[in-house]
Amino acid sequence: MALMPKRVKHRKSQRGRIKGNASRGNRVVFGDFGLQAVQGGWIGAATIEAGRIAAQQYLRTEGRLYIRIFPHKSITSIPLETRMGKGKGEPDYWAAVVKPGTVLYEISGTSEEVARLCLTRLAHKMPVRVRFLRRRAM
Amino acid sequence: MAEQLNVEIRQTRGKRDCRRLRKVGSIPAVLYGHGQENVCLSVPAEQLKGLVQHGSRLADLTGAVNESAFIREVQWDTWGVDVLHVDFTRISAHEKVEVRVPLELRGEAPGVKQGGVVEQLIHDVELSCPASAIPEKIEVNINHLRLGDSVAVAELDLPNGATVLVSPEVVVVHCTEPVEAPEEEAAEAVSGEPEVIGAKEEEEQKTEKK
Repeated sequence: MALMPKRVKHRKSQRGRIKGNASRGNRVVFGDFGLQAVQGGWIGAATIEAGRIAAQQYLRTEGRLYIRIFPHKSITSIPLETRMGKGKGEPDYWAAVVKPGTVLYEISGTSEEVARLCLTRLAHKMPVRVRFLRRRAM
Repeated sequence: MAEQLNVEIRQTRGKRDCRRLRKVGSIPAVLYGHGQENVCLSVPAEQLKGLVQHGSRLADLTGAVNESAFIREVQWDTWGVDVLHVDFTRISAHEKVEVRVPLELRGEAPGVKQGGVVEQLIHDVELSCPASAIPEKIEVNINHLRLGDSVAVAELDLPNGATVLVSPEVVVVHCTEPVEAPEEEAAEAVSGEPEVIGAKEEEEQKTEKK
């Protein structure tokens, strides 16, 4: 089941702007290798899930996958062939707002070779350009 | 052995001047500790980057200041490529410092052949050790790790004079049976909406008014 918040303060949110680079969540913290967004954008809950499945199917029982983003933002849409006006549309899906530099997924317990192949499979599902990242000591 | 860094006193302050400094190939830094006054410094970027990439934690500051310093904190840019700022603390050789040291797994666990998965739960450990004997990394031998076994902090091989600042019972690495991924519940997925905080109260208030 796609990710979604349990409780929210407001059903709908304004679009917002993605300004600057990620100053938090830009390091590999839990695993040994990670996938870092190079572009900013919205990543839908279904896309996050698709990435998880792609990675999990490759890893099977080897290693562990960490998802570092969560879809907090509700995205609304207006039905097709609707006349102008009549207010804001209804929530359609949930998305994570991603700034350039955000680490999206992490992997631990595998060799770098396996992690690279796994994250490459995962990267094909992402709507933003991404890069492979290693954990750094200091 | 500590590497040398040629430092200059930095008279300017603020983000605008720090950016200008970085453009000309220097990195803003600060030196503090031992109850003396803070000193704002600038360090050549290339020298510092080489030092940090080697994993050195000590530096001999020369030039405007002649002191031994411990690299307390390094600030990186978003991409982890450029150093933005460095914190140095004054230090003497036999003084004890608290430092986070990375842990590195060594060997192959026999538990993997039994169908297990090696999972590293902590990647670094906080030590208290003399400044002159800060280890670059601590190696954790997992050649004896069978399925269901674990290595705790208490079992780590520490250098002389070093003590661990975390609980000795904390597990560093264990070999467990692989966890099957949860079955997909996509078929059951209902496009439900989350609960809206305060929505019920508003409805109640409206009905009361009517």
